[in-house]
Amino acid sequence: MLRLFDTGNRSVTEAAILCGLNFYSGYPITPATEIAENMSRRLPLAGGYYVQGEDETAALHMAVGASLGGMRAMTSTSGPGYVLYADPYGWAIGGEIPVVILNAQRVGPVSGITGAPGQGEFYLSRYPTHGGNFETIVLAPEGVREAFAMTVEAFRLSERFRTPVTILADQLVTDGWEAFEVPETREELESLGLPLPDRASHPGPDFYPDNTLIDVPPVVLGRGTGGACSDWTPTREGYDTEEIGEQMRHARRLVGKVLDNRGLIDRSESVCLDDDPRLVLVSYGSPSRTVRRAVREARARGLKVGAVRLRSLWPFQDKLFQAPGRDHLVVELNCDGQLVREVSRASGREARFLGRCGELPKVSELLEAVTLLLDGKKIDGGYWAEKHGGVFR
Amino acid sequence: MDRLFHKFLRARKIPSTACSGCGLGQVHKRVLLALERLDLGPDDVVWGTGIGCAGRQTFNTWRGDNFAGTHGRVYAIAAGLRVALGPGKKIVLTAGDGDAFGIGLKHLLNCARRNVDMTVVVADNLGYQSTGGQFGITTPRGSVTDSSPYGLNEPGWLGGGLDVLEILKAAGATYLARHLSLDGASSVESLVMALENPGFSLVHFIYPCVTHFGAVTLGERDKGKILGSFRAMFAGGGKGGPTDRDDGRGGETDGGGRKDPGPQAGSGPVSGDPAFRLKRGTYHDGRGLRPEFAASLIAWTKNVREGAGR
Repeated sequence: MLRLFDTGNRSVTEAAILCGLNFYSGYPITPATEIAENMSRRLPLAGGYYVQGEDETAALHMAVGASLGGMRAMTSTSGPGYVLYADPYGWAIGGEIPVVILNAQRVGPVSGITGAPGQGEFYLSRYPTHGGNFETIVLAPEGVREAFAMTVEAFRLSERFRTPVTILADQLVTDGWEAFEVPETREELESLGLPLPDRASHPGPDFYPDNTLIDVPPVVLGRGTGGACSDWTPTREGYDTEEIGEQMRHARRLVGKVLDNRGLIDRSESVCLDDDPRLVLVSYGSPSRTVRRAVREARARGLKVGAVRLRSLWPFQDKLFQAPGRDHLVVELNCDGQLVREVSRASGREARFLGRCGELPKVSELLEAVTLLLDGKKIDGGYWAEKHGGVFR
Repeated sequence: MDRLFHKFLRARKIPSTACSGCGLGQVHKRVLLALERLDLGPDDVVWGTGIGCAGRQTFNTWRGDNFAGTHGRVYAIAAGLRVALGPGKKIVLTAGDGDAFGIGLKHLLNCARRNVDMTVVVADNLGYQSTGGQFGITTPRGSVTDSSPYGLNEPGWLGGGLDVLEILKAAGATYLARHLSLDGASSVESLVMALENPGFSLVHFIYPCVTHFGAVTLGERDKGKILGSFRAMFAGGGKGGPTDRDDGRGGETDGGGRKDPGPQAGSGPVSGDPAFRLKRGTYHDGRGLRPEFAASLIAWTKNVREGAGR
C-alpha cells in the first residue's frame, strides 16, 4: 500500500482513477475544486480525459454523454452546483446511465459560506430531480480514508444498478487532511475488488427490460446495437411513448431495481449498541466523528448510550431505527433538521435534534445533551426544541 | 422517400405524428439525402434530438443509434459523447429554435467555441409551437402569438440588426448555413458541407408551422403561402425586395437609413423586419480552420502521457 497524507479531494481522485475513470468533467466550486484540479493533473497521465464544463449543468451532461458512449465518467461539486444537476441527473436516472457524482456539502442556503461544512442536501440527494418514480443511491463518507473506499463502491453500484450514485460528502471530508492508503500490488487492488470489470454494452433490442434485475448492461451508443436512450418514458426498445402502461412499467423498474437489491447498498456502523441503550445518537458524515467520541466518553462516565452512523443514506434504512423503546438524538450540520425527520418517521417516535451550522458540534455539547436527555430533561433550544424537543442554539 | 426510408429510417416511427403540412419532413429528408450523398449508413451516425417539435418528431427515427436529451442540453451531451465515440462516427443533432437558440444557447456556443465535431440541424418554426404557439427567440418582432396577443414587443435574433448565426460565427463555429425548408439541392449541398466538416457545423432551416405560427400569426394554413410570407418577411425593406445590404447580416437601419421604430402595439399580423435579409446557403465556411475538440483532446492527452513517460 502507498501511504499518502492528503485531502479527501485527493483520495477521491486516486480511487476514481484506480476504478478506470475515463472521463471527468468539472466546474470549479469550493470545496470540491481540488477534485477537478487533481483530475486535471492525474487523469491525463492515466489515459483519461479532463474536461471543464461551461457550468455544472453542462459538466454532468457531458459526463453522462461520455458514459452513454461507454466511458466510466464522474463529476463533483458542492450544493450550488448539485442543484444545477437536476436536469442531467434525471436524464441519467430515466435513461439508466451510470455516472458517479460527489457533492462536498457546504453550509447554505444558496452560496452560504464556501469554506464551512454543511449537511443541507440530505433530501436533495433523495430528490435531485423532478418527476418522482425513482429511488436514488447515496453514500456518505465520514473522512478521507472512507471517501477513497466509497468512491470505489460508488462506481461499482452505479454500474451494477445503471444509475447515478451520489457520494454525499461535506467540506470537512473533502478539504480535511488525513492519512490514507492506496493499493499498489495486484493483491491489494483485488482486496478492493479492483480493477472493476470493463463497461459492458447492452446488445438490445430490449434496452429497458421489464423487470427489476441489476447487472443489466446499459445502453452504449456507437456500438451498432441500435441503442436508444432518451428523456421520454421508454418502451422496452427505448422508443418514446405516451402509454400509461409503459410509464408504470418504467417506474416500477426504476424504483424496484434499487429496493429489490438494496442489500448491496445498505451500509451503517453501530457504536455501543450491544446492550440495547435507550438513547441512540444518529448521524452521517463528519459529525459522526464527534458523535463517536462523545458516545465513548459517555460510556466511560457510565452513561448508557450508543450511536448509529449511516454510511448509505438512500434508500433510507428504516430498520435501523425500529428497535422498541429507543430514543434517538439526531446530530446534523444544519439547523432545519433533515435526517431527524426521516429518523422520526422510521422509528415512529419524535426524534431529538441537535443541529449545528457550519461547524461540528463539540463533544462537550453532545455529552451535555445526552446527560440531560438521560435524566428525562428537555435539552435547551429554540424553535426545534419547542416543536420537536431538540436543541437549537 | 421510399428509398431513403428503407435505407435509413425505422418503420415504427414513420410516418411521424407531425401536423399535416408541417415542414419538418422536408428538413428531415434533406438530412437523409446529404447522408446518402456521403455514403453514410446507420452505423456511421449517432443521432441526437432536442425537445420540441423538431426533436420529438425525429427521435429514434434513425435506423442506427439514437438519443434524446433534456431541453437545450443535447449539445453538452454530444460533447461528452464525442470524446467517447472518438473520430469516425458522425453526430447529427436535430433540434428546434427554442432548444438551440433559447434554452440551449450557452451549450451551443461552447460547442462552437470548442469546435466539437457535430452537425446541428436547427429546424426553426419561429416560436414555441409544440406547446401551442408562443413567441420564441427567432419570432419576428410584432408577431401576434398566443403569448404576445398584442404583438411581440421585443426583438428576435432574426432582425433588428441581430442574427443568431453571427453570434455562432463569433463563437467559433466552423460551418454555418441557412435555408428555407423548401430549398432542395442547395440545402442538401450545405448539409453535405456541414457533415464533412470535422468540427462544429450548424444548418438553420426556417420551416412553416401551419397549426400555430401560420394560422395564428400569419392567418394562413397553406404551407406554400406561409413560405411565400417568409420570403417577404425576411427579405428586408418590406415586400419581398432585398435591401441594399446583401451580406446576410442585418443592419441598424433599413434600406433607407431610417431607424427601426419597432412595432406598434396592436398593429396586427407581422409585417416583417425591415432590417433583416434572409440569405440562403452557406453563411460561414471555416471548415478545417480550427482544431476539433475531441481529436485535439485525445492527441493532447496522449502527448501528456508520453511526455511523462520519457
